Amino acid sequence: MKSIFNALCSKGLPARDLKNANRVNLLAVLWALSLLVGSLLSQYYSLSVLVISLAFITHTVIGIAMVFAYKRYLTELDEMERKIQLDALALSVGVTIIGFSSYSILAKNGILPELNSAYLIALMALTYIAGIISGRLRYS
Amino acid sequence: MKNRLKVLRAERNWTQADLAEKLDVSRQTINAIEKGKYDPSLPLAFKVARLFEASIETIFDDEVEVDSEPSSLAPLVD
Repeated sequence: MKSIFNALCSKGLPARDLKNANRVNLLAVLWALSLLVGSLLSQYYSLSVLVISLAFITHTVIGIAMVFAYKRYLTELDEMERKIQLDALALSVGVTIIGFSSYSILAKNGILPELNSAYLIALMALTYIAGIISGRLRYS
Repeated sequence: MKNRLKVLRAERNWTQADLAEKLDVSRQTINAIEKGKYDPSLPLAFKVARLFEASIETIFDDEVEVDSEPSSLAPLVD
């Protein structure tokens, strides 16, 4: 259990990598919050075009900043950790594509309800985290 | 891939953290290389070789036997 917790917390990474990782994590939290706030506001209030535009721009700008921060994190990362990250990304994309295409067959035939896009993001995030933990345990 | 990293490091009384700092990688990477779980990239292997003033082949062994006898290449040359 301790080794899984250490794997999850990036224990042992150099200070530079931890700083870059924290920047990515902070932007990811802000990105998720901006989506949550935008969704909640539109659910309970009738928003003006200006507010909708502001929510759209804020969410997109934070998202782009997060992608660039992650790219910088990957570029400066220790080579073994970079391999772990890329393996986890490959697993995440692969599982999501296969899962989505298989689910769509059942959804189109009325066996399952239409897929909510939020579930796809959640699936990607969870498989990415599982890939990171598995990679760090494999090389520890 | 087998390697002599642990022996070379021990000869100099360096910890894994010391070596990691000298090679600008994480201590986990040094640990994984020493255990043979992770094979370093070519640039990192060169860096290791330069640090220990040895050739890559004397530090890392890929355990692959290469048939280098000239007679085996002769038919291809003709």
